[in-house]
Amino acid sequence: MEKRLYFVFGDLVSNLVVGGVVGLICAALFSTSWNMIIAMVVGMALGMIIALVVTIALFLMLFGAMEIMVPNMLTGMVAGMIISMAAAMHEVSLWSAMKDGALVGFLVFVVIYIMQSRTGGKVDLNEFGGGE
Amino acid sequence: MDTATRDKWDKTSKRYDLMVSKGAEKRWEPYKRELYSNMQGKVLFLALGTGLDISLFPTGLDITAIDISPKMLKQAEPRVAAYDGNMVAQCMDVHDMDFEENSFDQIYTSCTFCSVPNPIDGLKALAKVLKPGGEIRMFEHTGSRIFPISLMMDLMTPLSSISGPDMNRKTVDNVRKAGFKILEVNNVFLDVVKTITARLPEEPRG
Repeated sequence: MEKRLYFVFGDLVSNLVVGGVVGLICAALFSTSWNMIIAMVVGMALGMIIALVVTIALFLMLFGAMEIMVPNMLTGMVAGMIISMAAAMHEVSLWSAMKDGALVGFLVFVVIYIMQSRTGGKVDLNEFGGGE
Repeated sequence: MDTATRDKWDKTSKRYDLMVSKGAEKRWEPYKRELYSNMQGKVLFLALGTGLDISLFPTGLDITAIDISPKMLKQAEPRVAAYDGNMVAQCMDVHDMDFEENSFDQIYTSCTFCSVPNPIDGLKALAKVLKPGGEIRMFEHTGSRIFPISLMMDLMTPLSSISGPDMNRKTVDNVRKAGFKILEVNNVFLDVVKTITARLPEEPRG
């Protein structure tokens, strides 16, 4: 698990920013005129694309490659899905969408660190069909 | 020579150091340093790029490094020259290497088999130039088995492969399919970034 403060800080901030930006854009684009399911699917795809662009533009050079890209894309996917669906169901303010997106980013950050603590290190070769 | 791959990395060469030297390479440095600390004998290093990894190599070794991109190698020149040991860098495609069979004791790769177009063929070509019983040690990012990360990486690959690597390679499986015995796999980040150690069988080739 990553323990260097610089990278932990980068992981946290990038997820918060990506979540916030995705929330803001999805709340601005989707409204109650959208079908909820279509909004969810389009929002999910849009969230991933926004996450990719923001990550490459702001964070990739400073904080890492896959370690930044994977969590941020996940944040974009989940935040885009939830906030677009919510915006199709009822009125969502830009401010609350941004906060909710950032909250998704924080949760993804925590989940990834928990997953990393469980998956990191030596792998049981049986996962790959044994050592032969 | 696979010109499509060569051109892709030639194009990326100008901004490559800017993209990865501060973030990814700093992040991976302790893991790579540990991997490279096992270097011994006559070593083949695959996909040298701009030579960012050279500073992590132990000194005094006999290393032959190859890369498919002449522009990447051009940038690597000062780092190759500064290496405290015997190091030669050559422009070569892994699918079409000029080396004799059984030339190397060890082979190292770093974020290579995400980009080699035919990974199993590439690994088989490496097996040919490696001595029987020789080791391959790899630092690679691969696809994930964790949902929804696996889905996300499958979706990302068509985009990422335009100017860089694939995100969803099954590199451990490919190493085994190429005839190596897997000795150890260590996850560096989730099950996405990992080190792989494998060995060729001792028996001479038929």
